[in-house]
Amino acid sequence: MAPVRIVTDSTAFLDKETIEKYNIVVVPLYVNFENEVILDGSIPNSEFFEKMKHSAKLPFTSQPSPGDFVKVFEKIIEEGSDIVTIVISSGISGTYDSAINAAKVVDAKRIAVVDSILTSGGLARLVTEAAEAAVQGKTKEEIVALVEDKKRRLRIFFVPDTLEYLKKGGRIGGAQALLGTLLKIKPVLYLNNGKVDSYDKVRTMKKALERIVDEIPPAKGPFPVILIHAEAPSTVKTLADMVQDRFPEAEITINELSPVIGTHTGPGVVGICFYAQ
Amino acid sequence: MAGNGNKGGLLSGNDLRAMFLQATDYFEQHKEIINDLNVFPVPDGDTGTNMVLTLQAASQELLDISSTLSIGEIARIAARSSLMGARGNSGVILSQLFQGIARGLAGKEEAGLPELGRAFQYGIVYAYNAVSRPVEGTILTVAREIAKGSRDAVQKSINIMELLDVAIESGKKALGRTPDLLPVLKEAGVVDAGGLGLIVFLEGCLKSLSSQSAGSSDAALLQEGGPGKTPPVKTNSAETSGEKINLEESFDSRFPYCTELIIKGDGLSTRLLRDHLQILGESLLLAGDEEAIKVHIHTANPGKVLETCLACGSIHDIKIDNMLDQFSKSRWSGNGEQTGKKEATEAGQTVPVPSTVEIGVIVVAAGSGFASIFSSMGADRVVSGGQSMNPPVKDIVDAIMEVNAERIIVLPNNSNVQFAAEQAAKLVDKEVSVIDAHSMPQGLAAITAFDRRKSLADNFVEMCLRARQVKTLEVTYATRDAQVSGIAVKKGDIIGLAEGVILFSGLSVDETVQKLLRAVIGKEEQIVTLFYGEEITENNASELAGKLVADHPDIEVELQYGGQPLYYYLISVE
Repeated sequence: MAPVRIVTDSTAFLDKETIEKYNIVVVPLYVNFENEVILDGSIPNSEFFEKMKHSAKLPFTSQPSPGDFVKVFEKIIEEGSDIVTIVISSGISGTYDSAINAAKVVDAKRIAVVDSILTSGGLARLVTEAAEAAVQGKTKEEIVALVEDKKRRLRIFFVPDTLEYLKKGGRIGGAQALLGTLLKIKPVLYLNNGKVDSYDKVRTMKKALERIVDEIPPAKGPFPVILIHAEAPSTVKTLADMVQDRFPEAEITINELSPVIGTHTGPGVVGICFYAQ
Repeated sequence: MAGNGNKGGLLSGNDLRAMFLQATDYFEQHKEIINDLNVFPVPDGDTGTNMVLTLQAASQELLDISSTLSIGEIARIAARSSLMGARGNSGVILSQLFQGIARGLAGKEEAGLPELGRAFQYGIVYAYNAVSRPVEGTILTVAREIAKGSRDAVQKSINIMELLDVAIESGKKALGRTPDLLPVLKEAGVVDAGGLGLIVFLEGCLKSLSSQSAGSSDAALLQEGGPGKTPPVKTNSAETSGEKINLEESFDSRFPYCTELIIKGDGLSTRLLRDHLQILGESLLLAGDEEAIKVHIHTANPGKVLETCLACGSIHDIKIDNMLDQFSKSRWSGNGEQTGKKEATEAGQTVPVPSTVEIGVIVVAAGSGFASIFSSMGADRVVSGGQSMNPPVKDIVDAIMEVNAERIIVLPNNSNVQFAAEQAAKLVDKEVSVIDAHSMPQGLAAITAFDRRKSLADNFVEMCLRARQVKTLEVTYATRDAQVSGIAVKKGDIIGLAEGVILFSGLSVDETVQKLLRAVIGKEEQIVTLFYGEEITENNASELAGKLVADHPDIEVELQYGGQPLYYYLISVE
């Protein structure tokens, strides 16, 4: 039995293989349609966005309850492992609070909770690296230190098709200033210390993609680049080609956004995640 | 008190005042001759009109004051008010001449020959200083020769009227040489309009002094074999208005490579870097912090620049342009290349400011649609360009003062407003950067990059770069017959310009737009923004937009109401 198990939330949108390989536990957030509550990631994305398109009102999302985390934590503690929990940024979700409160109830000494200040592909990357460290037998403290270091170096930039969804979902943060421009613009956004902020604005999607590829620092040897999108397969393919052209050594993975994140960005969003150095 | 008829003695304050007022009227009567010298037959930014509006601003002031003031005081008032009222590049330079003359006459009750001669010398120094990159073959050449001629005349101890005669003669000689000094004038077969304006003003002064009524002999002054006789336009190609090319598009051919890059590293120092780079060229501009510095320099040896930068850290986004190519293509690649020395120094020396400091943005724009668009993009004040699209310096100064920020960015959005904006920047005790944005599409591209949280220097560099990344197309009508770039233009024809160059003439408005776009859209272009003017209906505009979508299925077409006068369409292509 592993001395440390990793817990995360559904916005990391880990693939099944990774979850099984590292025995990671995923606590889902919720998407609330008018007549129906869906567990984040429980239905295929295409189905979800189709549902969203036909829903009269935009669904709202909610964090897992502390109780959801309590159940997960209790089981793992009983099995004899310590826990490192890495969750979506507290700047855009209350998931961190739920996890912290659950940890206090169960066993604060054996459960660490880290605010990733990221989500999506960035969170997935952190969780995977933490799980790898756990496999190697690292202690809870060592894993927390590793995650704390890496989370500050990971960058997420993204380009929503429109700012409407972020505005309606109340997650627009510093990109507020970009609303109301008469000229059509493509906003280039990023997570700035865990909150949505505007990075730049350009006129076309192609320029926006160029802009975010420009942010990737050159590296010696292979390095990971995670591309993210919601219902934008051809745009993300273009982005992948641009990255690969510029950085032949980049190891590109493409992650879809979980429905919860997709609800807030809207379909058509693409983004990129990489280490700053 | 010395009267107007005083031909040898001292000039009083009242003499100067009367002279100025009469010279303004005289100028007004002759402004069309000067307007006709505009190389380009487009209906805005006429040199003669801009100069007369500048003079009238001063005359208004002078009419209201006591005639008993000293000559020093009168000169000061004329200089100050002409500066505030200065419109267009030629107006700004004229006002700077007055500024220098006022400096030369400061504290004097009356002035005789030596004082006037010295005042002229001051005038020329001020005029040269007003221009970030003085170019010969312009009003500056004429002013300098006038100053030189009058200096020699003073030594021969003649009277004031004879002094003016000599000044005018020296000016005319210099004016006649302007086409040899500036190829664009030669091609168009004209002399410099601003230079002629200065001579006309002096002629007005002389008229006043000699107490002759401005009557039948006026025309003779301009026509009897003087350089003003040169026909306004012959048949050669001219790519842009002399004013635009003369003063803003030139560069020092010793440093033809415009080199830009970003250095990244640890503990970078703009000060150290400046020391190393300064000797390698001109128009050096450095902005950034310890981790990244943006570098812009005009150099003869870009390799050396790269080497020097490489010694400080890693280099990125390297861009080297040979400006000789650009220059021969004329305005094709836009004016952004050229960064005035003043901003270069200012931006380069500005220590990055804390991110909390707010920056205000002031925009010069014509048309209510453009005003709304600029406001929605973050402009704090929009100064109306008015019919000529050239607001006086004072309007820009007022806007700068009204905005509640200590750091200000000004987007002139017209090459003929650039100097006025730079003068306004000098008149206020705020930190002001004037962006090289010479059309409203360029201004919009620049303001898109604006970020209140960044330093003035960073914004300046980024906004200037962005302004250069769009192409500006214009559709208007010809104000007179002309033969430009091999195209016969008839008065009243619809003309289509790309980056200031006339490409089409005599077609319908829609055809002109379609042809322009076919001419400029290549692989890189992604979006066309069509701004329709006050004379175009929304229906017509959306019909045209539909045609453009059909012409270019891969290009995004956005339609916006610009509401600009004179120009049926302004189009941004990027």
